[in-house]
Amino acid sequence: MNGLMTPQLIRISEIYDDGEAARHFTFEPVSGTRHSARPGQFFTLAIPGHGEAAFTYLSLPDAQGRFKALIRRVGALTSALFECGHGDLIGFRGPFGNSWPLEQLLGKRVLIIAGGIGLPPLAAVTDRLSTDGNTPVGLIYGCRSPAEQVLKHERSAWHASMPILETFDRPSNKGQLTGTPLDHTQQMSAKLGGSPEAILSCGPEVMMNAAARHFIKNNLPPEKIWLALERRMHCGVGECGHCYLGSSTVCTDGPIYSWQQLIRLQSQTTA
Amino acid sequence: MRAFLLESLEQLRDHLAAQRPLFTPQFAADSSEPSWLPLSHNTPSVAIEQPLLPAYPAKQFFFPEREILFRFDGTDFKETLPKPAPQILFGVRSCDLCAIAYQDQFFQQDPYYQARRKATLLVGIDCQLPCEGGFCPTVDAGPFVRDGMADLVCHQQGDHWLLITQTSEGEALLEGLDLKAAAEEGITQRRSQEPQVAAQFPSATHIERGIQRINQSQVPAELWQTMGLQCLSCSGCTSLCPTCSCFTSYDRPVDDGFERERCWDSCLYDAFQREASGHNPSAAAGQRVERFWFHKFSDEYIKTFGRYGCTGCGRCEKTCPGVIGVHSVMKRISATP
Ligand code: SF4
Ligand code: SF4
Repeated sequence: MNGLMTPQLIRISEIYDDGEAARHFTFEPVSGTRHSARPGQFFTLAIPGHGEAAFTYLSLPDAQGRFKALIRRVGALTSALFECGHGDLIGFRGPFGNSWPLEQLLGKRVLIIAGGIGLPPLAAVTDRLSTDGNTPVGLIYGCRSPAEQVLKHERSAWHASMPILETFDRPSNKGQLTGTPLDHTQQMSAKLGGSPEAILSCGPEVMMNAAARHFIKNNLPPEKIWLALERRMHCGVGECGHCYLGSSTVCTDGPIYSWQQLIRLQSQTTA
Repeated sequence: MRAFLLESLEQLRDHLAAQRPLFTPQFAADSSEPSWLPLSHNTPSVAIEQPLLPAYPAKQFFFPEREILFRFDGTDFKETLPKPAPQILFGVRSCDLCAIAYQDQFFQQDPYYQARRKATLLVGIDCQLPCEGGFCPTVDAGPFVRDGMADLVCHQQGDHWLLITQTSEGEALLEGLDLKAAAEEGITQRRSQEPQVAAQFPSATHIERGIQRINQSQVPAELWQTMGLQCLSCSGCTSLCPTCSCFTSYDRPVDDGFERERCWDSCLYDAFQREASGHNPSAAAGQRVERFWFHKFSDEYIKTFGRYGCTGCGRCEKTCPGVIGVHSVMKRISATP
């Protein structure tokens, strides 16, 4: 049995392209060791000779232990991953980090705001909330252009059970919405039957911060706004130091923080 | 806990060295600073009366600058846990012992650190004089060894030594030594003597004030930026600091596959937090200098570790080529209006 830092083997069982330089991967256990995870958690993938990097669960492990990730080609490790094919074995460690606060979301009007590649960390929680039956949930997905959008299949499945607004900086045809996600919150509130009681967001930090401030101004308490942060998560167990955020470690205390927690962490330092 | 009388430190040291490999601060040829070396007969040991801290703290014994984490042999990943032989560190000062306790907690679940640490017994020495640049009393890390921080503690009393056992493993090592039990007064005397030694340290009000300002976020961002410009990103402070623990890792090819090695990293490097996407939350040097000092002096870490991340050893002041070691930084911080 391998410990803390040593990956175990998993198999790539399915791959397809999904958006700009992004690919959809399904992984399955090799030795029958299944694990469970919660929406918002992450794991690491290792490719011998190319190191290791962190990815979010797009879908949580199913009964056979299969789970998915949407991976964009950005660096050395992801380039190596894009060279891998169906059936290839690579390294895995996880799950790591905290998760979206499900207990606090069920039964509430929940607005999910995603930007670009920030949608995958919200996918598992969207799956869960949209099938709950008792939780009015809506998604506003903002991208620079339609080509930047990811998770085509997932979005079409969600469309059946929840309102989704997709907006672009540069739309490719007239019928599409333009502007930032915040330009469309009223329209979404109308669909949800009232203004949101909880916000979940992931995307560029400027977008998330703007969203948080917008809802604070509209009297939503800071502890009802949750953001998923991106940091360089390296070891996943709070040791290597790279993902610090004030006194907290994003890989163990995050990646999900309430706006209230973030304000406190940001106030710890000045530069 | 038991206490014995010891005629000389050498008596204990040589007895221990006969049982296990023993490391102690010594002057290597042509070096004016002692370093941790295996006991040998041709290198002079450090004069015990003058606390001369070894240039490097003891952390390298447990968290070496480089180590292999696992191997990929072409088929599977194999954890490569170290199998260290039992060893003794002799003559560890209180500041460094506090740092070891800090890292023991930080690396609690790290099997590599723990394997090395469990194979090691610590013999501490109380400092009877301030060392140059040290300020251990200000951060509750010395000058005398704190309870439970070492297996054995040596304390000089006139022409003899008090030997205090703090663990059963430490006590077991004494077997075969013919030692007289120490009288109760010796122990009481040691306790009452510490404030007198602490009083001999130079004033550290700049450290106290600096700690306060850091915790009240009262250090102007511009001062951090100025100090950032003076940081050469040499990583001297993070390498020498006994509590610094950041690391990075990479894969290296070996005969039949790859090995993953981890090595010390530094939060003062500009790419420390840079993500694959290019986004860097601490791109400004001032942010990184602030980070380092926040990590050493924020009250937030007391909640977790029961102490600050700084143990007052003063090594960063000696090593920093950019005048942003602990005394310089804290003086500048405490001088801002
Ligand atoms: S800092 Fe204190 S404990 Fe450390 S060597 Fe100096 S006097 Fe001794
Ligand atoms: S911050 Fe400086 S003085 Fe404090 S423990 Fe680290 S090296 Fe020693």
